[in-house]
Amino acid sequence: MERRGFIKKGLSWLAYIFGAAALAYPVFLFMSFRKIRKKTVVFHPDEQLAAANFKEGVYLIRKGAAFNALSARCTHLGCTLNFDAVSQQFKCPCHGSLFAISGKWVSGPARKDLMSIPVETEANGDMEVEFEI
Amino acid sequence: MSDTGNIINKISSYMPRLGLSALILCLASGIVLVFYYRPMGNVFQNVEEITTLVPYGWFFRQLHYGSGQLFTILMLLHTLDHFLRKRYRIYLFKEWVLLIFSLCLCFFVLFTGFVLKGDKEGFFAGQIFMNILEAIPFIGGSVSKLFIVPGDSFFFLPYLYHCFFLPILIIYLIRDHIREWFPNQRFLLIGTAGLFLYAIFVRPAIDIPPEASVAMIQGPWFFLGVQTLLKFLPVLLAGLIIPGLFVGCLLILPVIKTDSPTRDHRGRIAYVGENGLHYLLVVALCFYGFLTLRAAIWGP
Repeated sequence: MERRGFIKKGLSWLAYIFGAAALAYPVFLFMSFRKIRKKTVVFHPDEQLAAANFKEGVYLIRKGAAFNALSARCTHLGCTLNFDAVSQQFKCPCHGSLFAISGKWVSGPARKDLMSIPVETEANGDMEVEFEI
Repeated sequence: MSDTGNIINKISSYMPRLGLSALILCLASGIVLVFYYRPMGNVFQNVEEITTLVPYGWFFRQLHYGSGQLFTILMLLHTLDHFLRKRYRIYLFKEWVLLIFSLCLCFFVLFTGFVLKGDKEGFFAGQIFMNILEAIPFIGGSVSKLFIVPGDSFFFLPYLYHCFFLPILIIYLIRDHIREWFPNQRFLLIGTAGLFLYAIFVRPAIDIPPEASVAMIQGPWFFLGVQTLLKFLPVLLAGLIIPGLFVGCLLILPVIKTDSPTRDHRGRIAYVGENGLHYLLVVALCFYGFLTLRAAIWGP
Protein backbone atom coordinates (compact mmCIF):
# COMPACT_ATOMS: atom_id res chain seq x y z
CA MET A 1 0.00 0.00 0.00
CA GLU A 2 1.25 3.49 -0.79
CA ARG A 3 2.08 5.83 2.06
CA ARG A 4 -0.73 8.23 1.11
CA GLY A 5 -3.28 5.39 0.97
CA PHE A 6 -2.08 4.03 4.30
CA ILE A 7 -2.41 7.42 6.00
CA LYS A 8 -5.86 7.94 4.45
CA LYS A 9 -7.06 4.53 5.67
CA GLY A 10 -5.56 5.10 9.13
CA LEU A 11 -7.24 8.49 9.46
CA SER A 12 -10.63 7.12 8.39
CA TRP A 13 -10.32 4.32 11.00
CA LEU A 14 -9.40 6.87 13.66
CA ALA A 15 -12.47 8.92 12.68
CA TYR A 16 -14.66 5.79 12.99
CA ILE A 17 -13.22 4.94 16.43
CA PHE A 18 -13.63 8.49 17.76
CA GLY A 19 -17.14 8.72 16.30
CA ALA A 20 -18.18 5.42 17.90
CA ALA A 21 -16.63 6.43 21.24
CA ALA A 22 -18.36 9.83 21.14
CA LEU A 23 -21.69 8.04 20.67
CA ALA A 24 -21.04 5.20 23.10
CA TYR A 25 -19.75 7.34 25.99
CA PRO A 26 -23.01 9.24 26.76
CA VAL A 27 -25.03 6.03 26.22
CA PHE A 28 -22.80 4.16 28.70
CA LEU A 29 -22.98 6.99 31.26
CA PHE A 30 -26.77 7.15 30.94
CA MET A 31 -27.25 3.40 31.29
CA SER A 32 -24.88 3.01 34.23
CA PHE A 33 -26.09 6.01 36.26
CA ARG A 34 -27.89 5.27 39.52
CA LYS A 35 -28.90 7.78 42.18
CA ILE A 36 -27.44 6.97 45.59
CA ARG A 37 -30.33 6.10 47.87
CA LYS A 38 -30.36 6.02 51.64
CA LYS A 39 -32.31 3.55 53.70
CA THR A 40 -33.39 4.04 57.30
CA VAL A 41 -34.03 1.07 59.58
CA VAL A 42 -35.72 1.65 62.95
CA PHE A 43 -35.32 -0.82 65.81
CA HIS A 44 -38.17 -0.38 68.30
CA PRO A 45 -37.44 -1.14 72.00
CA ASP A 46 -38.91 -4.66 71.70
CA GLU A 47 -36.53 -5.33 68.77
CA GLN A 48 -33.39 -4.53 70.79
CA LEU A 49 -33.50 -7.34 73.32
CA ALA A 50 -31.19 -10.01 71.82
CA ALA A 51 -27.40 -9.85 71.59
CA ALA A 52 -27.69 -9.47 67.79
CA ASN A 53 -30.99 -8.14 66.38
CA PHE A 54 -31.55 -8.44 62.63
CA LYS A 55 -33.78 -6.17 60.57
CA GLU A 56 -33.74 -5.30 56.84
CA GLY A 57 -30.05 -5.95 56.23
CA VAL A 58 -28.72 -4.55 59.52
CA TYR A 59 -27.59 -6.19 62.78
CA LEU A 60 -28.06 -4.11 65.93
CA ILE A 61 -25.54 -5.43 68.45
CA ARG A 62 -26.26 -5.06 72.13
CA LYS A 63 -23.35 -4.93 74.59
CA GLY A 64 -24.85 -4.24 78.01
CA ALA A 65 -26.40 -0.78 77.68
CA ALA A 66 -24.34 0.14 74.59
CA PHE A 67 -25.40 -0.48 70.99
CA ASN A 68 -23.66 -0.55 67.67
CA ALA A 69 -24.91 -1.48 64.19
CA LEU A 70 -23.26 -3.63 61.54
CA SER A 71 -24.17 -4.17 57.91
CA ALA A 72 -25.39 -7.76 57.40
CA ARG A 73 -23.75 -7.83 53.94
CA CYS A 74 -20.79 -10.16 53.67
CA THR A 75 -17.74 -8.16 52.54
CA HIS A 76 -16.82 -10.94 50.09
CA LEU A 77 -19.75 -10.99 47.64
CA GLY A 78 -22.68 -9.39 49.42
CA CYS A 79 -24.72 -12.35 50.78
CA THR A 80 -26.69 -11.67 53.95
CA LEU A 81 -24.96 -13.12 57.03
CA ASN A 82 -26.56 -15.44 59.60
CA PHE A 83 -25.86 -14.96 63.30
CA ASP A 84 -24.98 -18.06 65.29
CA ALA A 85 -25.98 -17.41 68.91
CA VAL A 86 -23.90 -20.36 70.20
CA SER A 87 -20.53 -19.35 68.74
CA GLN A 88 -21.49 -15.62 68.79
CA GLN A 89 -20.29 -15.31 65.20
CA PHE A 90 -21.71 -14.24 61.85
CA LYS A 91 -21.54 -16.85 59.09
CA CYS A 92 -21.95 -16.36 55.34
CA PRO A 93 -24.23 -19.03 53.80
CA CYS A 94 -22.69 -18.61 50.31
CA HIS A 95 -18.92 -19.05 50.75
CA GLY A 96 -18.51 -19.71 54.48
CA SER A 97 -16.77 -16.53 55.73
CA LEU A 98 -16.89 -16.03 59.52
CA PHE A 99 -17.00 -12.75 61.46
CA ALA A 100 -16.87 -12.03 65.19
CA ILE A 101 -19.81 -10.26 66.88
CA SER A 102 -17.69 -7.08 66.81
CA GLY A 103 -17.68 -7.28 62.99
CA LYS A 104 -14.03 -8.36 62.75
CA TRP A 105 -13.20 -10.87 60.00
CA VAL A 106 -12.28 -14.28 61.45
CA SER A 107 -11.88 -16.66 58.49
CA GLY A 108 -12.99 -17.41 54.93
CA PRO A 109 -12.59 -15.57 51.64
CA ALA A 110 -14.04 -12.17 52.80
CA ARG A 111 -10.82 -10.73 54.36
CA LYS A 112 -12.45 -7.37 55.28
CA ASP A 113 -14.34 -6.50 58.49
CA LEU A 114 -18.08 -5.82 58.38
CA MET A 115 -19.19 -2.24 57.72
CA SER A 116 -20.06 -0.39 60.91
CA ILE A 117 -23.09 1.94 60.75
CA PRO A 118 -23.75 4.86 63.14
CA VAL A 119 -26.76 4.44 65.47
CA GLU A 120 -28.98 7.28 66.65
CA THR A 121 -31.15 6.95 69.75
CA GLU A 122 -34.55 8.61 69.66
CA ALA A 123 -36.39 10.03 72.68
CA ASN A 124 -38.96 7.18 72.59
CA GLY A 125 -36.19 4.55 72.81
CA ASP A 126 -36.10 3.70 69.08
CA MET A 127 -32.70 3.08 67.52
CA GLU A 128 -32.35 4.56 64.03
CA VAL A 129 -29.79 3.33 61.53
CA GLU A 130 -29.24 5.04 58.16
CA PHE A 131 -27.06 3.67 55.35
CA GLU A 132 -26.54 3.89 51.59
CA ILE A 133 -27.86 1.17 49.31
CA MET B 1 -18.86 -46.93 9.40
CA SER B 2 -19.12 -49.05 12.55
CA ASP B 3 -22.39 -49.50 14.47
CA THR B 4 -21.08 -47.38 17.35
CA GLY B 5 -20.16 -44.60 14.93
CA ASN B 6 -23.63 -44.74 13.39
CA ILE B 7 -25.31 -44.51 16.81
CA ILE B 8 -23.12 -41.54 17.81
CA ASN B 9 -23.91 -39.77 14.53
CA LYS B 10 -27.63 -40.39 15.01
CA ILE B 11 -27.56 -39.03 18.58
CA SER B 12 -25.56 -36.02 17.30
CA SER B 13 -28.22 -35.22 14.75
CA TYR B 14 -31.13 -35.79 17.19
CA MET B 15 -29.80 -33.42 19.89
CA PRO B 16 -30.22 -30.09 18.06
CA ARG B 17 -33.66 -31.12 16.70
CA LEU B 18 -34.91 -32.00 20.15
CA GLY B 19 -33.27 -28.81 21.44
CA LEU B 20 -35.19 -26.70 18.94
CA SER B 21 -38.46 -28.29 20.11
CA ALA B 22 -37.50 -27.42 23.70
CA LEU B 23 -36.72 -23.83 22.64
CA ILE B 24 -40.15 -23.44 21.05
CA LEU B 25 -41.87 -24.77 24.21
CA CYS B 26 -39.69 -22.54 26.39
CA LEU B 27 -40.60 -19.41 24.42
CA ALA B 28 -44.32 -20.33 24.38
CA SER B 29 -44.48 -21.02 28.14
CA GLY B 30 -42.45 -17.86 28.79
CA ILE B 31 -45.01 -15.78 26.88
CA VAL B 32 -47.77 -17.25 29.11
CA LEU B 33 -45.82 -16.51 32.32
CA VAL B 34 -45.15 -12.88 31.34
CA PHE B 35 -48.87 -12.16 31.80
CA TYR B 36 -48.66 -12.66 35.57
CA TYR B 37 -44.99 -12.25 36.52
CA ARG B 38 -44.01 -8.79 37.80
CA PRO B 39 -40.33 -7.91 38.46
CA MET B 40 -41.15 -5.14 40.96
CA GLY B 41 -42.49 -5.26 44.51
CA ASN B 42 -42.62 -8.58 46.30
CA VAL B 43 -41.27 -10.85 43.56
CA PHE B 44 -41.13 -13.94 45.79
CA GLN B 45 -44.83 -13.62 46.60
CA ASN B 46 -45.61 -13.12 42.90
CA VAL B 47 -43.76 -16.36 41.99
CA GLU B 48 -45.48 -18.24 44.81
CA GLU B 49 -48.85 -17.00 43.52
CA ILE B 50 -47.98 -18.29 40.05
CA THR B 51 -47.08 -21.67 41.55
CA THR B 52 -49.98 -22.06 43.98
CA LEU B 53 -52.83 -19.67 43.09
CA VAL B 54 -52.97 -18.97 39.34
CA PRO B 55 -54.75 -21.78 37.41
CA TYR B 56 -52.11 -24.09 35.84
CA GLY B 57 -49.38 -21.68 36.99
CA TRP B 58 -47.39 -24.58 38.48
CA PHE B 59 -47.55 -26.35 35.11
CA PHE B 60 -46.37 -23.41 33.00
CA ARG B 61 -43.61 -22.55 35.48
CA GLN B 62 -42.30 -26.10 35.50
CA LEU B 63 -42.66 -26.42 31.71
CA HIS B 64 -40.70 -23.18 31.23
CA TYR B 65 -38.00 -24.31 33.65
CA GLY B 66 -37.73 -27.82 32.18
CA SER B 67 -37.70 -26.70 28.53
CA GLY B 68 -35.13 -23.96 29.20
CA GLN B 69 -32.84 -26.40 31.01
CA LEU B 70 -33.28 -29.05 28.32
CA PHE B 71 -32.52 -26.61 25.51
CA THR B 72 -29.33 -25.35 27.16
CA ILE B 73 -28.14 -28.83 28.18
CA LEU B 74 -28.71 -30.14 24.64
CA MET B 75 -26.87 -27.15 23.18
CA LEU B 76 -24.00 -27.79 25.60
CA LEU B 77 -23.87 -31.47 24.60
CA HIS B 78 -24.08 -30.50 20.91
CA THR B 79 -21.10 -28.15 21.36
CA LEU B 80 -19.20 -30.76 23.40
CA ASP B 81 -19.81 -33.30 20.67
CA HIS B 82 -18.31 -30.91 18.09
CA PHE B 83 -15.44 -30.08 20.41
CA LEU B 84 -14.51 -33.65 21.36
CA ARG B 85 -14.68 -34.87 17.76
CA LYS B 86 -12.73 -31.77 16.63
CA ARG B 87 -15.55 -30.78 14.33
CA TYR B 88 -14.85 -27.09 15.03
CA ARG B 89 -12.47 -27.52 12.09
CA ILE B 90 -15.37 -27.30 9.65
CA TYR B 91 -16.37 -23.87 10.94
CA LEU B 92 -15.07 -20.47 10.02
CA PHE B 93 -13.62 -18.61 13.01
CA LYS B 94 -16.44 -16.03 12.98
CA GLU B 95 -19.12 -18.74 12.87
CA TRP B 96 -17.54 -20.70 15.76
CA VAL B 97 -17.23 -17.50 17.85
CA LEU B 98 -20.91 -16.66 17.31
CA LEU B 99 -22.00 -20.18 18.30
CA ILE B 100 -19.88 -20.31 21.48
CA PHE B 101 -21.04 -16.80 22.36
CA SER B 102 -24.69 -17.81 21.93
CA LEU B 103 -24.12 -20.88 24.15
CA CYS B 104 -22.70 -18.54 26.85
CA LEU B 105 -25.78 -16.35 26.43
CA CYS B 106 -28.03 -19.42 26.88
CA PHE B 107 -26.37 -20.00 30.27
CA PHE B 108 -26.84 -16.33 31.09
CA VAL B 109 -30.56 -16.67 30.32
CA LEU B 110 -30.73 -19.65 32.72
CA PHE B 111 -28.89 -17.59 35.31
CA THR B 112 -31.25 -14.60 35.02
CA GLY B 113 -34.16 -17.05 35.30
CA PHE B 114 -32.61 -18.37 38.52
CA VAL B 115 -32.38 -14.78 39.86
CA LEU B 116 -35.97 -14.01 38.82
CA LYS B 117 -37.35 -16.70 41.17
CA GLY B 118 -37.07 -13.90 43.72
CA ASP B 119 -36.31 -16.29 46.58
CA LYS B 120 -33.25 -16.24 48.81
CA GLU B 121 -31.13 -18.28 46.34
CA GLY B 122 -32.10 -16.04 43.44
CA PHE B 123 -31.45 -12.84 45.39
CA PHE B 124 -28.04 -14.04 46.59
CA ALA B 125 -27.09 -15.21 43.08
CA GLY B 126 -27.89 -11.70 41.81
CA GLN B 127 -25.89 -10.10 44.63
CA ILE B 128 -22.87 -12.32 43.94
CA PHE B 129 -23.01 -11.61 40.20
CA MET B 130 -23.21 -7.86 40.88
CA ASN B 131 -20.25 -7.98 43.27
CA ILE B 132 -18.15 -10.07 40.86
CA LEU B 133 -18.68 -7.45 38.14
CA GLU B 134 -17.84 -4.68 40.62
CA ALA B 135 -14.46 -6.37 41.18
CA ILE B 136 -13.38 -5.41 37.62
CA PRO B 137 -10.76 -2.66 38.06
CA PHE B 138 -11.78 0.94 37.20
CA ILE B 139 -15.02 0.22 35.29
CA GLY B 140 -16.55 -2.52 37.47
CA GLY B 141 -18.99 -0.23 39.31
CA SER B 142 -20.43 1.13 36.05
CA VAL B 143 -20.47 -2.23 34.23
CA SER B 144 -22.38 -3.96 37.04
CA LYS B 145 -25.13 -1.31 36.80
CA LEU B 146 -25.77 -2.34 33.19
CA PHE B 147 -26.94 -5.75 34.44
CA ILE B 148 -28.28 -5.42 37.96
CA VAL B 149 -28.79 -2.66 40.52
CA PRO B 150 -29.48 -2.87 44.26
CA GLY B 151 -32.73 -1.58 45.72
CA ASP B 152 -36.37 -1.79 44.65
CA SER B 153 -35.62 -2.47 40.99
CA PHE B 154 -33.19 -5.32 41.73
CA PHE B 155 -35.06 -7.78 39.48
CA PHE B 156 -35.97 -5.33 36.71
CA LEU B 157 -32.79 -5.46 34.59
CA PRO B 158 -32.42 -9.29 34.86
CA TYR B 159 -36.08 -9.43 33.76
CA LEU B 160 -35.39 -7.27 30.69
CA TYR B 161 -32.39 -9.45 29.79
CA HIS B 162 -34.28 -12.71 30.41
CA CYS B 163 -37.45 -11.82 28.52
CA PHE B 164 -36.30 -9.52 25.74
CA PHE B 165 -32.62 -8.77 25.05
CA LEU B 166 -31.14 -12.26 25.39
CA PRO B 167 -33.78 -14.39 23.60
CA ILE B 168 -33.78 -11.94 20.66
CA LEU B 169 -29.97 -11.85 20.56
CA ILE B 170 -29.63 -15.66 20.77
CA ILE B 171 -32.14 -16.24 17.97
CA TYR B 172 -30.38 -13.58 15.87
CA LEU B 173 -26.95 -15.19 16.42
CA ILE B 174 -28.03 -18.75 15.61
CA ARG B 175 -30.28 -17.78 12.68
CA ASP B 176 -27.85 -19.03 10.00
CA HIS B 177 -26.87 -22.14 11.96
CA ILE B 178 -30.40 -23.55 12.14
CA ARG B 179 -31.34 -25.22 8.89
CA GLU B 180 -35.04 -25.78 9.60
CA TRP B 181 -36.76 -23.40 11.98
CA PHE B 182 -39.82 -25.59 12.37
CA PRO B 183 -38.57 -28.84 13.91
CA ASN B 184 -39.45 -32.24 12.52
CA GLN B 185 -42.94 -33.15 13.81
CA ARG B 186 -41.65 -36.38 15.38
CA PHE B 187 -39.14 -34.46 17.54
CA LEU B 188 -41.66 -31.79 18.41
CA LEU B 189 -44.11 -34.47 19.53
CA ILE B 190 -41.50 -36.40 21.58
CA GLY B 191 -40.16 -33.18 23.14
CA THR B 192 -43.64 -31.87 23.98
CA ALA B 193 -44.79 -35.20 25.44
CA GLY B 194 -41.62 -35.58 27.54
CA LEU B 195 -41.69 -32.01 28.86
CA PHE B 196 -45.43 -32.11 29.58
CA LEU B 197 -44.91 -35.31 31.61
CA TYR B 198 -42.01 -33.63 33.41
CA ALA B 199 -44.11 -30.53 34.19
CA ILE B 200 -47.02 -32.63 35.46
CA PHE B 201 -45.15 -35.20 37.55
CA VAL B 202 -42.00 -33.44 38.77
CA ARG B 203 -42.62 -31.00 41.60
CA PRO B 204 -40.70 -27.70 41.47
CA ALA B 205 -37.91 -27.29 44.04
CA ILE B 206 -38.96 -25.54 47.25
CA ASP B 207 -38.31 -21.80 47.08
CA ILE B 208 -36.61 -20.34 50.16
CA PRO B 209 -38.33 -17.15 51.42
CA PRO B 210 -35.99 -14.12 51.30
CA GLU B 211 -36.31 -13.54 55.05
CA ALA B 212 -35.54 -17.18 56.00
CA SER B 213 -32.22 -18.03 57.60
CA VAL B 214 -30.49 -21.02 56.00
CA ALA B 215 -27.07 -22.45 56.76
CA MET B 216 -25.96 -22.94 53.16
CA ILE B 217 -27.03 -21.48 49.83
CA GLN B 218 -26.27 -23.08 46.47
CA GLY B 219 -26.17 -21.32 43.12
CA PRO B 220 -27.50 -22.80 39.84
CA TRP B 221 -25.95 -26.18 38.93
CA PHE B 222 -23.70 -24.78 36.20
CA PHE B 223 -22.15 -22.23 38.60
CA LEU B 224 -21.49 -24.65 41.47
CA GLY B 225 -17.89 -25.04 40.28
CA VAL B 226 -17.41 -21.25 40.21
CA GLN B 227 -19.03 -21.01 43.67
CA THR B 228 -16.43 -23.48 44.97
CA LEU B 229 -13.58 -21.60 43.28
CA LEU B 230 -14.81 -18.34 44.84
CA LYS B 231 -14.25 -19.87 48.26
CA PHE B 232 -10.54 -20.36 47.66
CA LEU B 233 -9.45 -17.85 45.01
CA PRO B 234 -9.70 -14.05 44.64
CA VAL B 235 -13.03 -12.85 43.20
CA LEU B 236 -11.64 -11.50 39.92
CA LEU B 237 -9.65 -14.67 39.23
CA ALA B 238 -12.38 -17.19 40.12
CA GLY B 239 -15.35 -15.24 38.80
CA LEU B 240 -14.03 -13.72 35.58
CA ILE B 241 -10.43 -14.52 34.58
CA ILE B 242 -10.60 -18.34 34.80
CA PRO B 243 -14.01 -18.69 33.04
CA GLY B 244 -12.91 -16.04 30.50
CA LEU B 245 -9.64 -17.88 29.78
CA PHE B 246 -11.52 -21.14 29.26
CA VAL B 247 -13.96 -19.56 26.78
CA GLY B 248 -11.07 -17.67 25.10
CA CYS B 249 -9.10 -20.90 24.56
CA LEU B 250 -12.23 -22.59 23.17
CA LEU B 251 -12.75 -19.71 20.75
CA ILE B 252 -9.26 -19.81 19.23
CA LEU B 253 -9.37 -23.55 18.42
CA PRO B 254 -10.43 -23.09 14.76
CA VAL B 255 -7.61 -20.55 14.25
CA ILE B 256 -4.86 -23.08 15.00
CA LYS B 257 -6.57 -26.08 13.40
CA THR B 258 -4.41 -28.47 11.39
CA ASP B 259 -5.69 -31.18 9.09
CA SER B 260 -2.64 -33.39 9.34
CA PRO B 261 0.81 -33.19 10.89
CA THR B 262 2.92 -31.83 8.06
CA ARG B 263 6.61 -32.45 7.98
CA ASP B 264 7.70 -28.84 8.10
CA HIS B 265 8.46 -27.05 11.34
CA ARG B 266 5.39 -24.74 11.24
CA GLY B 267 3.00 -27.61 10.59
CA ARG B 268 4.34 -29.58 13.54
CA ILE B 269 4.05 -26.57 15.88
CA ALA B 270 0.43 -26.02 14.78
CA TYR B 271 -0.34 -29.73 15.25
CA VAL B 272 1.14 -29.78 18.76
CA GLY B 273 -0.54 -26.44 19.59
CA GLU B 274 -4.00 -27.57 18.52
CA ASN B 275 -3.80 -30.94 20.25
CA GLY B 276 -2.21 -29.45 23.36
CA LEU B 277 -4.94 -26.84 23.67
CA HIS B 278 -7.65 -29.42 22.93
CA TYR B 279 -6.48 -31.79 25.69
CA LEU B 280 -5.89 -28.90 28.09
CA LEU B 281 -9.53 -27.89 27.62
CA VAL B 282 -10.65 -31.51 28.12
CA VAL B 283 -8.73 -31.61 31.44
CA ALA B 284 -10.22 -28.22 32.47
CA LEU B 285 -13.73 -29.48 31.64
CA CYS B 286 -13.17 -32.68 33.68
CA PHE B 287 -11.88 -30.60 36.61
CA TYR B 288 -14.89 -28.28 36.42
CA GLY B 289 -17.18 -31.30 36.27
CA PHE B 290 -15.47 -32.70 39.38
CA LEU B 291 -15.88 -29.36 41.24
CA THR B 292 -19.57 -29.24 40.26
CA LEU B 293 -20.18 -32.81 41.39
CA ARG B 294 -18.30 -32.22 44.65
CA ALA B 295 -20.36 -29.08 45.36
CA ALA B 296 -23.62 -30.86 44.48
CA ILE B 297 -22.88 -33.71 46.90
CA TRP B 298 -21.03 -32.07 49.80
CA GLY B 299 -21.90 -28.41 49.24
CA PRO B 300 -19.72 -25.68 47.73
